[in-house]
Amino acid sequence: MTGIYKNLRKDFLVEFRNRSAVNISFAFAVITTMSISLVAGGTSFEPHIHAILIWMIIFFSGMNGLAHTFIREEDEKNALFLRLAYSPEDIFISKLLFNIIFFTGIISVICPLYLFFLQARPLIPQLFIATAFSGGLAIASITTILGAMVSKAGGKGSLFTVLSFPLILPVMWVSITNTALSIEGAESANYRNVLFLIAFSGIIACISYLLFRYIWVE
Amino acid sequence: MKIHRLVYILMPLVIYMSFLWAPSAAILGDASRILYYHVPVAWVAVIAFIVAGVESIIIIIKNDEQSLMREERAYNTTLIGLVFTILALVTGAIWANLSWGSYWNWDPRQISIVILLLIYIAYFSLNSALEGNESRGKISSVYLILAMVVMPLFVFIIPRVYDSLHPDTIINADKKMHLEEAMKITLFTSMGAFTLLYIYIYNIMNRISAVKIKIREKRHAL
Repeated sequence: MTGIYKNLRKDFLVEFRNRSAVNISFAFAVITTMSISLVAGGTSFEPHIHAILIWMIIFFSGMNGLAHTFIREEDEKNALFLRLAYSPEDIFISKLLFNIIFFTGIISVICPLYLFFLQARPLIPQLFIATAFSGGLAIASITTILGAMVSKAGGKGSLFTVLSFPLILPVMWVSITNTALSIEGAESANYRNVLFLIAFSGIIACISYLLFRYIWVE
Repeated sequence: MKIHRLVYILMPLVIYMSFLWAPSAAILGDASRILYYHVPVAWVAVIAFIVAGVESIIIIIKNDEQSLMREERAYNTTLIGLVFTILALVTGAIWANLSWGSYWNWDPRQISIVILLLIYIAYFSLNSALEGNESRGKISSVYLILAMVVMPLFVFIIPRVYDSLHPDTIINADKKMHLEEAMKITLFTSMGAFTLLYIYIYNIMNRISAVKIKIREKRHAL
């Protein structure tokens, strides 16, 4: 537990010192939301279009920051030190927690901004919030292990997108459908998809936890 | 009897049975005969990906001198799986056009098979990006295990959770196959023949890989 806490603290300190991932992600989120709002000029969209736009902004805002956590360790030559100082399990859990907190932060900024500027009012707000956070949890779980793999491949930028997109697609698919239902207030809306997203995150996180050692230890 | 001889006997037999012996389905007519090719290629794709996952588990558990050959075997079976997934997608699209009037219908089963295809295409990107890296085998293996864990979700769960136009699969809610006896026999013969064809191709590819490894080792020794 101490190892997880120390590494998590280090990640946050490093992030708030240079703020590269946070700045890029949040700036992207704000600029994209504002751009869509300005271009739309008060046009009202269908719930499904709103859901697609929200998730596209969330996805592309998070992509830079999520891969960054591991790539930074390799770029700054910290990886060897971390290998010596902490167990692979501690590293994985701290990075996963960092990604979950980071992505939750992004979602907490994007959703209110989008709803405010695009004047979308979810008729089932609880479901909207639950979908946003469970979808974010699933994306953060997938991208943590993939970020570790990409960092070993020399942090090739497009590789992360190539690897993560197919695995994130089902999450996006379910999240977009559920977000649209929550905005629309459809009778068929239920929490089954939220449970699916949480279960998917759990499966990916468990498998990643078991396999991370084989990526991390050389 | 060696596998290749069985393949040479069974494959023409499957062609004969599927086109001439098995009766055509009531509504779809002769178009339904694509069933004897679509289902077996999808079946082989799943087997190939499972074999890749199992090989990968062995790679990370047993880190010995056989690992390089196991990596090659995992790569080969993934490649075969990818080709058979494309075949399943193409035969599925033809079948969709015949029964629903359009090659692509945004059906959950069609979407999920494309996502599966993308996941395994990404494996080849990762594998080539890691060229020269000592941990290439282990990292690629981890990805293949992750893909194997996610695969049942796309093949078995998503198409059953969401409303689909796809006909009932062999593993269905009724636990019964809605096919005539001759159709069942033809389908299972075809599945057996395609499985043997997979083993045959897989063996050939592995032998080529073994020769390549030996040539590489000899070059290093010189």
